[in-house]
Amino acid sequence: MVLLENDSFLTELTRLFQKCRTSGSVAITLKKYDGRTKPVPRKGHPVNYEPADNKCLLRASDGKKKISTVVSSKEVIKFQMAYSNLLRAHMDGLKKKDKKSKSKKTKATQ
Amino acid sequence: MPYYQTWEEFARAAEKLYLTAPMKVRVVIKYRHCDGNLRIKVTDDAVAHTSLRSPCATPSVGWSGVKLAAIGLRTSGSLFSGVLNHSSPSGSPTDKSEFGGFQCLQYKTDQAQDVKKIEKLHGKLMRLMVSKESGAMETD
Repeated sequence: MVLLENDSFLTELTRLFQKCRTSGSVAITLKKYDGRTKPVPRKGHPVNYEPADNKCLLRASDGKKKISTVVSSKEVIKFQMAYSNLLRAHMDGLKKKDKKSKSKKTKATQ
Repeated sequence: MPYYQTWEEFARAAEKLYLTAPMKVRVVIKYRHCDGNLRIKVTDDAVAHTSLRSPCATPSVGWSGVKLAAIGLRTSGSLFSGVLNHSSPSGSPTDKSEFGGFQCLQYKTDQAQDVKKIEKLHGKLMRLMVSKESGAMETD
């Protein structure tokens, strides 16, 4: 799992989308992150980390390559704008709902 | 695991689920360009334990169900998901195990108009996650 900066994550995510255009899927996961860098200690052991409240973890994968990034409240606005543009630009293979005469014609012929 | 039929219901349920368990909930989006479909899932991963301590006849229903749920969404996973969602352990009453079962909300689409909705919900949840606890309820 490669942990990247926000900008590199967006670049790599673009590459993932481009790679998967012909086959495969892109999975993106979003989860709240409290900033812990060590595994959860066993019972009885002291929990010594201070939970941070303002971060989230974003992961992406195409089945083989995995990338991830951490977004905090300072970067979220800028990141989210770029991220939503990216999603909208790449998730364009879906059916478009057209109520124009084209669809009417095809329906009439059927 | 229910696939929601309408976007509004899914969005409301997803936000509600996030607000009940912000640290546990994760949002997964899966896009397949070759097949032209898009799925979004919001889950809190809480496993319905049957029993951890008392010897129970069906020990590992919860675990196998979760694994199957994770891998085989489309095929026979629905059978097991029925067991998990109802979370009524057969036999011995469990004293401390979590009864709630887990919630897994899913929505799938092949319509381009849903991309914007999904992306907006994703952004909204992202902003909720990074906002501080005191100002958790953001009104758009």
